[in-house]
Amino acid sequence: MEEMAICIDVAKCMGCRACQVACKNWNCLGAEQTENIGSHENPPDLSARTWNRLVYRETLMPNGDVMWSFFNDRCRHCNPPSCAEGAEDVPGAVVWDDSGAVVYTDKTRELDFDDFFSYCPYGIPRQDPETGRIYKCTMCIDRITNGLEPACVKACPTGALNFGTKKQMLRYARARISELGPNANLYPGEDYNTLWVLPESEESYNLARATSARKHYRAAREPFSGVLAGAVFAVLGFLNFITQRRGKVADTEDNNR
Amino acid sequence: MTNHWIDIKNSDYILVMGSNPARNHPISIKWVRKAVEKGARLISVDPRYTATSREAHIYAPIRSGTDIAFLGGMIRYILENKLCFYDYVRHYTNASFLVNPGFRLPGDNNGVFSGLHGRNTPEGVVDGRYDKATWEYQRDKNGVIKKDMTLEDPNCVFQLLKKHFSRYTLDTVSSITGTPRERLEAVYSTYARSGAPDKSGTVLYAMGWTQHTVGTQNIRAMSIIQLLLGNIGMAGGGVNALRGESNVQGSTDHCLLYHILPGYLKMPRASQADFDHYNKKYTPKTVEPQSANWWSNYPRYSASLLREFYGREVPLEEAYRFLPKIDDGENYSWLTIFDRMCRGGFKGLFAWGQNPACSGANANKTRIALARLDWLVNVNLFDNETGSFWKGPGMDPGKIKTEVFMLPCAASFEKEGSITNSGRWMQWRYKAVDPPGEAKPDSDIINMLYARVRHLYEKEKGAFPDPIIKLRWEYGPKDGNGRVIHIDSHMVAKEINGYFLEDKTVRGKKFRKGELVPDFTYLCDDGSTSSGNWLYCNSYNGHGNMAARRGRHDPSGLGLYQGWAWCWPLNRRILYNRASVDIHGRPWAPSKPVIRWAGGKWKGDVPDGGWPPLSAGRDSRLPFIMQSEGMGRIFGPGLSDGPFPEHYEPLESPLERNILSPQFVSPVIKRWDFQTGTGTLNARATSDPRYPIVCTTYRVTEHWQTGVMTRWQPWLAELEPAMFVEMGRELAEIKKIRNGDKVIVRSVRGAVEAVALVTVRLRPLAVDGRLVHQVGIPYHYGWATTADREYGPGDRKPEVLTFGDSANLVTPNIGDGNTMIPETKAFMVDVIKKA
Repeated sequence: MEEMAICIDVAKCMGCRACQVACKNWNCLGAEQTENIGSHENPPDLSARTWNRLVYRETLMPNGDVMWSFFNDRCRHCNPPSCAEGAEDVPGAVVWDDSGAVVYTDKTRELDFDDFFSYCPYGIPRQDPETGRIYKCTMCIDRITNGLEPACVKACPTGALNFGTKKQMLRYARARISELGPNANLYPGEDYNTLWVLPESEESYNLARATSARKHYRAAREPFSGVLAGAVFAVLGFLNFITQRRGKVADTEDNNR
Repeated sequence: MTNHWIDIKNSDYILVMGSNPARNHPISIKWVRKAVEKGARLISVDPRYTATSREAHIYAPIRSGTDIAFLGGMIRYILENKLCFYDYVRHYTNASFLVNPGFRLPGDNNGVFSGLHGRNTPEGVVDGRYDKATWEYQRDKNGVIKKDMTLEDPNCVFQLLKKHFSRYTLDTVSSITGTPRERLEAVYSTYARSGAPDKSGTVLYAMGWTQHTVGTQNIRAMSIIQLLLGNIGMAGGGVNALRGESNVQGSTDHCLLYHILPGYLKMPRASQADFDHYNKKYTPKTVEPQSANWWSNYPRYSASLLREFYGREVPLEEAYRFLPKIDDGENYSWLTIFDRMCRGGFKGLFAWGQNPACSGANANKTRIALARLDWLVNVNLFDNETGSFWKGPGMDPGKIKTEVFMLPCAASFEKEGSITNSGRWMQWRYKAVDPPGEAKPDSDIINMLYARVRHLYEKEKGAFPDPIIKLRWEYGPKDGNGRVIHIDSHMVAKEINGYFLEDKTVRGKKFRKGELVPDFTYLCDDGSTSSGNWLYCNSYNGHGNMAARRGRHDPSGLGLYQGWAWCWPLNRRILYNRASVDIHGRPWAPSKPVIRWAGGKWKGDVPDGGWPPLSAGRDSRLPFIMQSEGMGRIFGPGLSDGPFPEHYEPLESPLERNILSPQFVSPVIKRWDFQTGTGTLNARATSDPRYPIVCTTYRVTEHWQTGVMTRWQPWLAELEPAMFVEMGRELAEIKKIRNGDKVIVRSVRGAVEAVALVTVRLRPLAVDGRLVHQVGIPYHYGWATTADREYGPGDRKPEVLTFGDSANLVTPNIGDGNTMIPETKAFMVDVIKKA
């Protein structure tokens, strides 16, 4: 499969969090008992059950205007993924799919979480305290390998979340950066399969460029299809439903002409 | 909406005021952004810097409850700077009409219009009622309204408007609203540019405008602006109420409210003894040349409705007698009903698909009222604070007599039918899954109830059984006893459209008995047709179920999508579109023509009547066909509180005075706060140092209404798990409250716990020479899903517990002077840190 990417156009996000709900819905992730601690942000952190979340940030500018930004935090799907290095001892625990998606499997239970966590420059992986399994965004590997966009992208009403081939997404990002003006930039950089177009500097979003990326590591990418055969089957059923539905809609339209 | 969601993309100037679409109508932002991409300017006016403000080119803060002052300032700005679209104003509005010389404006009359009777008090007139004799137009000997097309006559509407709003100077407005002067000017000068003939401006509003004692006049003020700038009827124009519920437009069309019958026909009053009297009362007459006066068709629609209810066997006169009547002078709106319930005036209540214990203003009063009932039927998807009110906070179940029944009902995806969206599009929806357990569609519950009630009337007779026994009930397949087994949505939809009840020729066209009526222009007043709602006559006819259409063809390029679903009336996508062209039928905005006259007929959208353009003379008709004069009403004598909007303070205000006049609050609103012996039940605290903070209410994306459907949804509850109060840093500092602290928001009527959300998005405003702080609380919470209640053996516990109770514990029971919608957007509170 061609290399794919998600491009998050931060300027287009209005903070509705449909992406958070869609992620939980598709991936069957439970809710967390949260509380409001003085922010609309919730859940308070990524977790084994929360794979993407919006970080709200508001600043009063010197001219009296308010800057209010929404940053969707999630796995960067690094290329190459340095977390895979941390999982070298357990083959198959981290799969780097040829789509660019970095996917954690059930075998992550066998990893030492603290050690494994230290390999991620962005602090993304989370362990389920009960099962020991480690989780994060999979780029909806079961959807994208079947021709669908990730659930969060599907749910986004404003076009802030985009999905396509890496080439398309880089082209999109460059075009948007030139539209958005001199402060706009690509985060974290081109060697990632999650790309953010930031309208303002990284510092405005409290983001630091990765410091501990282990550039020497080159993992081999491999197709993911074998791992998720069951899920693929389910998705094909869904596709079949969609196709039929489209047929029906077309029929109705014809009948009304 | 006069226009529709997609049409927002055609706008050049978008004013968002009294709404927050980025949070509460997120999809609409897609169309707002399409407009902005093409160069439109977006303006956000809101007490709080919202997610919509974040999208806007201009943000202007405002003190909640002062919209008329803000918009009045805009009217003055437009008039003083001669920015009107004069051709439009002259030809399509009542600006040229001459008004009775005895008419007095508030500026010359102690802040009220001429004709007010009521009780004088130190804060002006209360319990007032207008005698509208001086609000009449001057007429010639034939009864035709006198006009001055130069707009110079001092008694013409245009000059009266100018004089009235001359008091709304930038400084005065800024002092009332707290909006900085330069922001006012920025908003005014930007929006007024939509007055260019080929430009259009739209307004997107919601409850932020309606839920005030002057709610109707807020919208009137904007309607005046839209008429002055020639924005009504245009693509990208109009006055657009963003409906928050998928089907609230449909439920209003089908008479959710007490004062109307389906299709906005009037609910009869007790004194209107016979059908003829009723029809005469509500069928306007006009001698204006070129006025279509569409409501002259009233008797066709009322007769067809009675036929749908009672069929051909019951004479129209008798059918009219069967209709329930409103007692003269009575008002059966929400606040009055609950007031009466509170005083023991009701035996029972069906709380159908609603949660009054949380949703109604002044919830403490509502909850007390529920305890005075003998029985309560709660029809809902989930248990809620209403069904379980007897075990709520402060209640002693042992002392409550009310017997409560829960009838589980189906959700929208568990039944087939139509919804009518904000843009008046009636869209058919299919059933996706069966309802769980014993839950049934509402219509089947009504069907079962009807069968039982009818049976009881048949058996026991009663005082007046005929209106029930003789009802036609042709809404589904029947069993051997003639009873409808279940409701068939298609049969209901066809009854709403209407049938010919006999062979009939209308305008030379022959119809057979039993045929569906093609559209409402074929409805008759002689009882030969039926129609459950004349506005929807055309929605299900010989062409089939029009609402189920899914055509995706848009030759207009404007997003009219005339083959997608169906739109009332007659599939007209933009109302008053005859005002979008000049008197020769040429579009004001040639780049986005809604309709145009070409080759002897109209092209484009379904026009507001097929008559030729105005230049055709006697054969033509004026564009505002629903007004008896055919003109857009800048002067609106139909309302209870004045033909022009005038600024009055909310019932509860931070100020001791109305800066503009000695009349403090609207003189015509129905007041309960004078009642004695009811403690704090109906209390009001205005200009009171104990409650110095302006409070407003709003919603979040994640929750729906009182949260009955969303608080039980764990993925949504985890996102917004708690009642919060948004407050500015400055106020937090004064109150020694830190972000995240638990606080109590209290008004004179009640209190609610909340989490303090200290933000830079709310800032104090300079009002009448002092700083006024504002806070905001969300609408969606209730005690039933919280941790601090007892869960009995049969009680379901939500997966994610929420915190806090209803915002309505602090809101006042006071309604708009015309509609009685409660003023839940501006009232006074204090916020204190919880000990």
